[in-house]
Amino acid sequence: MEANDTPPHIRLGLSRQRLIAGLRTMIASRETDDRLWLLNRQGRAHFVVTAAGHEATQLGCAWAIRVGHDYVVPYYRDMTLVMALGQSVLDVLLHAMARRDDPSSGGRQMFGHYSSRRLRIVSGSSSVGSHLVHAAGLGLAFRARGEQDIAVMGLFGEGATAEGAWHEGLTIAGIHQLPVVFVCQNNQYSISVPVHREVPVPDVAMKAAGYGMQGVVVDGNDVFAVYEAAYQAMERARAGGGPTLLECKTYRLRPHSSADDDRKYRSSEEVESWRARDPIKRFEHYLVEHNIITAEEIEALRRDVRAEVDAATDAAVAAPYPPVENIADHVYG
Amino acid sequence: MTFIEAIRSALHDAMAADDRIMVLGEDVAVKGGVFLATEGLLARFGEHRVIDMPIAECGIVGAAIGASLHGLLPVAEIQFADYIYPAIDQILNEAARFRYRSNGDWSCPIVVRAPCGAGIHGALYHSQSVERLFTSTPGIKVVIPSTPFDAKGLLIAAIHDPDPVIFFEHKQLYRSVRGDVPEGLYQEPIGKAAVRRSGSDMSVFSYGLMVHHSLTAAEQLATEGIDAEVVDLRTLAPLDCDVILSSVKKTGRALIVHEDVLTGGIGGEIAALIAEHAFEYLDAPVRRLASPDLFATPFADPLEEYFMLNPQKIAAAMRDLARY
Repeated sequence: MEANDTPPHIRLGLSRQRLIAGLRTMIASRETDDRLWLLNRQGRAHFVVTAAGHEATQLGCAWAIRVGHDYVVPYYRDMTLVMALGQSVLDVLLHAMARRDDPSSGGRQMFGHYSSRRLRIVSGSSSVGSHLVHAAGLGLAFRARGEQDIAVMGLFGEGATAEGAWHEGLTIAGIHQLPVVFVCQNNQYSISVPVHREVPVPDVAMKAAGYGMQGVVVDGNDVFAVYEAAYQAMERARAGGGPTLLECKTYRLRPHSSADDDRKYRSSEEVESWRARDPIKRFEHYLVEHNIITAEEIEALRRDVRAEVDAATDAAVAAPYPPVENIADHVYG
Repeated sequence: MTFIEAIRSALHDAMAADDRIMVLGEDVAVKGGVFLATEGLLARFGEHRVIDMPIAECGIVGAAIGASLHGLLPVAEIQFADYIYPAIDQILNEAARFRYRSNGDWSCPIVVRAPCGAGIHGALYHSQSVERLFTSTPGIKVVIPSTPFDAKGLLIAAIHDPDPVIFFEHKQLYRSVRGDVPEGLYQEPIGKAAVRRSGSDMSVFSYGLMVHHSLTAAEQLATEGIDAEVVDLRTLAPLDCDVILSSVKKTGRALIVHEDVLTGGIGGEIAALIAEHAFEYLDAPVRRLASPDLFATPFADPLEEYFMLNPQKIAAAMRDLARY
């Protein structure tokens, strides 16, 4: 890595257009998140699982993915990620409100289970950590087909790293040096259990040594640091250099889900201290400081996003549910 | 050809014809499997399609699922059905639901092969029949062949089936049963039972090793003037309800025989099916003969012998039903 004063977006070759599109995605994710909590309180969305606070981690990862080429094996907190990969605000709201045209599941899955074969976003269950073995299997498939220059990104919270399936996925990827980047979004709690009761070592990335892969720790609220590490890991994977365990340290700014009360397990001071480090504010500040965008333009962008969220909310509320007569479709092929 | 040779022949012929097929499991490559079901595949198809896996059953099935998402047709081997439990989350929560939960966007055309069954001095952890754990979840198919011909034809059908198929092979059949098996590719239909012996006095429904024991018992009963029909279910999910009901409507008596335990076994489901749809045709209550509600199987010879069904026990149950 170059130790110079070049601003990271220049060093990383991120164009103004890409930066502003990225900021818009972050804001759209947060605004949609806020809207979903409101819809939940109104009884219009049964369940919300938040992405608030994870936006920089997920955008940085999304930038490292070749959309529709590399596979993505996400988990339930990846709203910013899937928006950056091409799912719209309306797509997310149709999913959250279980409408017929929900592109992820047609109204079958609880909110947060993103899927799109077209975008190569793999469908997941709610069973924590169960999906990383699928990421490893995709790597075996590329090898069996003789396909190179393709990689998988599998994402999870630090809570998943205690699961047996997680261990088996990393074991297989490490043994065969498969092109898989394992991204841990370490937000320091698995619902209520703090990280020192979930992970026996200071950094999740330390576990990488046991699986024969590189472990990397980055500030998950720094979109450039995440992108740089994710890009290097994905490029290494695509070039046959094997898997990486990338740990992005971050914090969720809301309760785990609409069914959670986080006041029972963390102080408001702690939450406020992380609000001060909000990854979106940080990114905005950077962009203004580097004359990529003005504060006024950001406000205009935010108004534009809010109008989109308003319109998408109306459209999703008015959208039809899946017809009951189709309940048994797609059980067998 | 023996049963195990038929399995091996299916894998060789299917893999030669379709390079999407891969095999993964513990000891399947260099060793060719602990029962030699996969012998010769590594040399012929290479280490990227025939993969020795670590002892990680969840990982083996999960990796098969992942590979299937990219268009491959993976055949995962669980070394003994007794060790399928760590993979159950992957089978029931993942593979079975992938198509449904993505509204038809994704699917998991995998096969999970697992040797099952007792009677080989395998004690508590090399003897189990676990099919009942898989027959009550939609989205997966459960196949248990009894003949070498079916083993090959059903395995090839399972590999090309669009759904996840759990394929149980009774270990005692591997080298004890021989039969004609064609060279090359052919498929037997999943979901279709086969009438192995036609008869008029009662219907015996069975699968796997117990089909052979039931046929032996039926021949004994024939000498006593009782003409039994023996139906080989072949597929437990989905059940061939048409063949079951038409057989029992003809004979008026039904006995279900399986090595899996009595409680929760598929026999209860078949009995309910008959009670609901063929009650008026019955001349006697539906009977079930299954392994006792214990664990397959204690190591000591007399205990194993007590646990296992055999032709004598089946013949006794058939006589009892005929006398009702």
